[in-house]
Amino acid sequence: MSGKEFFVDRYRQLGWKFYNFQPRQAIRINVTNNKGKNLKERLQAVGVQLENIPFLETGYWVRNSKVSVGATAEYLLGLYSIQEAAAQIPATLFTGLKGKTVLDACAAPGGKTVQLADLMRNTGVLVALDLMKQRLAALSNHLERCHVSNAIVYNLDARRASSLKLKFDRILLDVPCSGNFVGDREWFKRRTIADVRRNAKLQKEILTEAAKCLFDDGEIVYSTCSLEPEENEVNMDWALNHLNLQIKEVDCYGQKGLTEVFGSRLDVSVELCRRIWPSETQGFFVCKLKKAISK
Amino acid sequence: MMKTVSRFAFQLGIKIALNANFAVKKAGRYFLLNEALKKVVAKDFYYAGTYLGKVKNGKFFPSFSLLAMLARGEANKIVVEKKAAWLFICGRDVLRKGILSVRGSRKKGSHTLVFNEFGECLGFGKIIGRLDEVAKKNEVVVRNISDIGDFLRREA
Repeated sequence: MSGKEFFVDRYRQLGWKFYNFQPRQAIRINVTNNKGKNLKERLQAVGVQLENIPFLETGYWVRNSKVSVGATAEYLLGLYSIQEAAAQIPATLFTGLKGKTVLDACAAPGGKTVQLADLMRNTGVLVALDLMKQRLAALSNHLERCHVSNAIVYNLDARRASSLKLKFDRILLDVPCSGNFVGDREWFKRRTIADVRRNAKLQKEILTEAAKCLFDDGEIVYSTCSLEPEENEVNMDWALNHLNLQIKEVDCYGQKGLTEVFGSRLDVSVELCRRIWPSETQGFFVCKLKKAISK
Repeated sequence: MMKTVSRFAFQLGIKIALNANFAVKKAGRYFLLNEALKKVVAKDFYYAGTYLGKVKNGKFFPSFSLLAMLARGEANKIVVEKKAAWLFICGRDVLRKGILSVRGSRKKGSHTLVFNEFGECLGFGKIIGRLDEVAKKNEVVVRNISDIGDFLRREA
């Protein structure tokens, strides 16, 4: 069970009509490093034209650029990061990050880690984990470039996060996923439903570990760039039933989460998740979870 | 460990006093923690707090975070105009004609931070020529040792 026809038919059953789409390049301003700077004007002076992303406070689409936005002095100085628009959403869904102990459980290459540090204004403690040691160099470069000073990075599997013996106020689970076809021409050739199921299992294991490390009043934000419901709504439904978590409402771009998936009914609260079908952004899914209050 | 960092800072004409209790070394790389990080950091970390630099073959290579810290103090510095700033980021040396102002040592052999016109530190170099008007406009006066373009070169 694989191939373009197979997946496109699944999307049709879920209510979305497939079309080929190229995502727009986006940047995110690092507020902590931009005090007193006039970044937009500076970038305009070197030929980079920006356009506000209506659903993001610090995100901009690159409308036009005469230079590579990954090679300007302003980029190298950490004044902004290149980050796809939908990928900028998860970190913004937490409440009150300043001074908190935060876990970024699957951190490399570090775009969201730097964003979390920025939202924390370099206060508190930000623990970033990644299983792949070879990806930690890119993460470290990103932290150094953006002058992040509140992070600790470990080469550690998110499924072993509790071995750190820490509890967290906020946990970002931008979990490994099957991805989506936007920006990957080979996606339909490479992916099978078996991959999706394997990823869904891994994601459940990471969720289970995260729930163990979360303070009772803490928050988890779960995200994927997969369009497959097994990795998204179905996993959230599973978390409600197995991890004593509840889904919280979020105010962000995207459609309601699906509560009916290929004939199966999910908990009604799953509609509080946000599903982003590819349009102006890549495909994405995001959900905010808290521990259910025991009665 | 702190001696290495202090010695480097001294070459830039600045004295710094980093708290040794908050400094940690990992695989030849130096980091500076704060109180919150120090309380929770485990021994097997990969990166922590502010990266200060690394020692390779007995030589200290400062990080850009350290240079930014030193830039906030009274270190030797030159401010260069737009084109010179861009060339410096591309790994080139600084010509006399590109310098807008100089602070601190003008002595040959001294190290100096290189700033753009927005007051941002782009890296550092070694003074190898006269920084005053006597020097020819196209004479190389500061040799590039390290610049932020390194972030791109690391990825290549």
